[in-house]
Parts: sequence; structure tokens; C-alpha cells
Amino acid sequence: MSVKRKQFNTSIFIMALCGVIFLIVFNYLPMIGIVVAFKDMDRVLNITKALVDKPFIGLDNFKAFLQDKEFINIMLNTLGMNLLQLIIGFPAPIIFALLLNEVIHTRIKKTVQTITYLPYFISWVVFGGIVIGMLSSDGGLINNILIKLNIIDKPIPFISKPEYFWGIVIASGMIKGIGWGTVIYLAAINSVDQSQYESAVIDGANRFQKMWHITLPSISGTIIIFLLLNISNLLVSNFDQIYVLQNSLNYARSEVIDTYVYKIGIAQMRYSFTTAVGLFKSVIAIILLTFSNTISKKYLGRGLY
Amino acid sequence: MKNSESKFKRVLRKLNIHKFNWFDYINYTFLILFAFIALYPFIYVFAGAFNEGMDYMRGGVYFWPRVFSLDNFKMIFNDSRLLIGFRNTIARTVIGVMTGTLFTSMVAYAMSRKDLPFRKTINRFNIFTLFFNGGLIPYFMVLKYLNLLNNFWVYVIPYLYSVFNMIILQNYFREVPEEIHESAIVDGAGEFKIFWQLYLPISKPIIATIALWIGVFHWNSFFDSMVFTTDANLQTLQFFLVKLIKEASFAQGEAAARVPAQVVRSTSITTIRYAAIVVSTIPILAVYPFMQRYLIKGIMVGSVKG
Repeated sequence: MSVKRKQFNTSIFIMALCGVIFLIVFNYLPMIGIVVAFKDMDRVLNITKALVDKPFIGLDNFKAFLQDKEFINIMLNTLGMNLLQLIIGFPAPIIFALLLNEVIHTRIKKTVQTITYLPYFISWVVFGGIVIGMLSSDGGLINNILIKLNIIDKPIPFISKPEYFWGIVIASGMIKGIGWGTVIYLAAINSVDQSQYESAVIDGANRFQKMWHITLPSISGTIIIFLLLNISNLLVSNFDQIYVLQNSLNYARSEVIDTYVYKIGIAQMRYSFTTAVGLFKSVIAIILLTFSNTISKKYLGRGLY
Repeated sequence: MKNSESKFKRVLRKLNIHKFNWFDYINYTFLILFAFIALYPFIYVFAGAFNEGMDYMRGGVYFWPRVFSLDNFKMIFNDSRLLIGFRNTIARTVIGVMTGTLFTSMVAYAMSRKDLPFRKTINRFNIFTLFFNGGLIPYFMVLKYLNLLNNFWVYVIPYLYSVFNMIILQNYFREVPEEIHESAIVDGAGEFKIFWQLYLPISKPIIATIALWIGVFHWNSFFDSMVFTTDANLQTLQFFLVKLIKEASFAQGEAAARVPAQVVRSTSITTIRYAAIVVSTIPILAVYPFMQRYLIKGIMVGSVKG
């Protein structure tokens, strides 16, 4: 056996190499393409030629982004929605998983799981389309209910009003994602040693004490991993969701980095400018990840790496 | 593990240690209410799609159609753009699932072997891509160099391999007893044959899971269609839906010429949209009850290591 291990296993190597070649083409070549961010290639037609010919212009594209009149607004929207998501959307599946775990009737638990997982597998185009319909000011469900309850007297075009946009994104994101978000936590809860609960019962612990002192600590590792990933993604938005819900009337509160990069980069062909914006986003993500991971390791004794 | 938990609870219930108290009532009510909220959008959109369009605009159609009509579907099925979208989406889903699952699991098999040369380096090379990428524009340029823009294969080739899925498959393959591999080697089988004839069949549940995830991804994606294609014949179902939902002018125009006038008159932009949503969602709804078990399994296997 030990002799065999030292041999160069060619066929295995070739199989793994297929993956490596794929990553070189679709992941590492674009990384090299980041040089575009340090040249002025906006609106060039022959990209290959420009990539070679154009001189480096340093950090001008980054400066242009920081001085862009949209910069503050886009950062505010991106951070605002993602922080709200972190504060409200992140704990929600954890609480939901704890509540599901308290259900004794297996059939009810299974049914609730099956139904609440479903929206996760439906595209944001479809789900967003339904959300827009429900919020519509002519005949939409929400307006009809609010009028019947005498909360408002005239329909409100919710989706066209910037001030409602963040709320719509967070709420629709939670309805779509909470159920599936519980899966990973329920898996962690299920692997908790059952004898701990049994001895807690004997010691007279009530269910909240069990939840607080046994269940939560035992899934804290999973929670921390997901928290760190969430923090490092503070500048990354759910493009599909925001793009579908976005319209020309709610731009003021709906334009985020990702939709801006698409609009400016692809539609207006400002290649260098948007590559710089994308790089800015990636660098911030790495800084956030390193920083939060260090803090987590120091104070919680756990980290991603 | 899962069984022991429910067994423990069953025993508790039998012993009547667990009394149904105020917390249970609130908890059950809350969970069932939330399940209703998660399900209701689908009921709402189905009711609208089967309702007569003009009548629908009066409001109040919440659970079932008030004036039943199939005209919205007649409009949708006469829209050639929807049919093209369906064709492209079905094609990319079928081809994408087969090629993506096989390619990724082949690499995962190699990565799961301890005797893979340069294992650590190759592994780091893979993991790095999870944390850093070049961004949209450089990626767009690479696709341009490869002549994949405005090309059907832009829906397939970039998704042949996924590091995330590879890790899940790799963890599963590692659990396969080493003796199986050794005895196959003794029998003179090559590595690819071992992967194809031994590991793939053994790993059916996880392969099914990965295939389903890839399938759902292909069915639901619209970004690639929107950004990497301009040819109307290449656009996918979800991209058609995006335009239908976001642009009012897009909704009625196309089919109207081919459909009798009274059908057009008994539809509305909203109900046509709902009909399109229903048509494009039914395939997922139809397989969901059967695939749910597999979908969950993947994340469990993936979390074993994480």
C-alpha cells in the first residue's frame, strides 16, 4: 500500500486537472482581467487590443467612483438593506428552527417544513412578480385589506414609493428564505447529544432553560460560521430580488452596487469604472471577513479558518 | 440521530410528561400562520391566472377565481416568446444537469482520493475561488474571448463545475469504504471506471441532490440570459418573465394578433402575468414534493464537515 501511494496516479490527476482548467478559464482569467480597473477602457470596442495598448492610470477609476454623485446613495442602500437583513433576517431562521424543534407532533412539523421550504426553490422573478402584484395599487391584496380595515382611504402604490423599498425587500426575503434557512440549524440541533436533555429534565429544567442552556450553545458553531459569512457579504446584494422589484420610481432607495455595476458596466459599457467598483466590493469583503474572523477567534474562540 | 430525538419525544408524550401549555398554543399558531403566509402567494397567483382579466381588476379575488376563464393562458400560449423561452430553458436544464453533475462529480471523485498528486495545492486552488472573483466585467470579457456571448452554450459550459457542489460530493465519496476501491484496483479496473461503475451508483442519493440543485438553478436563472445574450431566440423563460413583469408594453403586444379579439378583451396585463408565472412555476411545484427529501439531504452531508 505504501509503495502504491508514492506512485504518480496519472488518471486521478487528469480528472482533478479538468476542474483546475475550468477554474483557470472561468475564475482565474477574470481575476487577471482586474487590470481593466487600472486602465481607461470605458466604451472601447476592441477589448483585447485595448487591454494591451491602454496605459495604466493608477487609481483614477476608484477615485471616480468615490466622487461619483451616486456613490453615497448606492452605499447607503447597499449597507442599509444588508444591515437590516443582518439584524432581522439573520436571527429569524435560528428562532424559527428553535420553535420548530419544540413541535412534538411530527406530522405538523413536517408539513410546516415542507410548505415553508417551498418558496426558496421558486425564482425571484416569479416571487417578485407576485409581491409586486400583491402590493399593486389597483386591486392588489395588501391595499384592499388596508382599505377594508380603514387603515388607509386611498390605495398606496407601495412598489413605486422609495420609502417602502427596504421594507419590501426584507419582508419578501424573509418569507422566501426563513424556512429553508432553518435546515442547517435543524441539522445541528438534531446532532445534539440527547442524554443532555434527559438529564436536564431529571434536574427539573423547563423547556426555555433547555433551549437556552443546551440547544443554543450546541448550535453556536453553526451560527458563528453563518454570521461571519453574512458580515463579509455586507456589500453583496441579492441581485435577482432587487432587480425584479426595482423600477424607475424607486431608484432612490433601490439602487445598490450590484445593480449599478450591471447598469453602468454592461448597458453603458463603462468597463474600467465598473471593474473598479467590483474590485472595491471584493476587497471590502475580504477585509470584513478577516476582521470579523479575527475578532470571533479572539472573543468566541471560533472562526471560519 | 434524527430517530432517537423523535423517539425521546414520543416517550415523553406517552408518559404525559409533556403537557400542552400556553407556549405550545402560541408556537403552533405562529408556525401554522407562517406556513400559510409562505404558501399564500401561490394561491393568490393561481386564483388570478384563472380569473377573467377585466373582472379581476375590480379586486377581491383572493382564494379562487370569481369569473373562471382560460383566456389568460390562451394569450400566453400564443406568445411565441414564451414558447422560445420554454424551449431554451428546458434545453439548458436537461443538458446542464447531465453535464454539470457528471463533470463536477468526476472532479470530486479525484479530489476525494488521498493519492491525488499535489492534493493540497489543488485543494487550495479550488477553495480560493470561493472567496475571491474578478467581478462581472472581466467575466464578461472572458466569455467574449471564448465566443460564448450570444451562444446557447453560455448556459451550459460556465456551469459544468461548481466548487461548492464538489466539496459536498467529495465529502460523500470519502465515506465510501476504502476496501471497495482497493478490491476494484486488484481486479484491474482503472480510476475512471471505478468512478463510473462503482462510486456513481453507490452515491445515487447525493448525486440526485446535486442534480436537483443544478436543475433548480438552471430553471430559475435569468441573469446570464439578460447579460450574455441579445438574440431573442436564445432568451430563457425567466428572462421572458422579467420583461413581462417589469415592462407593461411587453405584456400584451405579441400574442394579440394571433388570438381572437374577445379573448384579448377578457384578459388584463396583470392576469396575463399571473398566467405566465403559473405556467413557469408548475414544473417546480410538480417535482417539489418528490425532490424535497433529496434537497435537504445535500445540505446535511455538506454540513457534516463545515
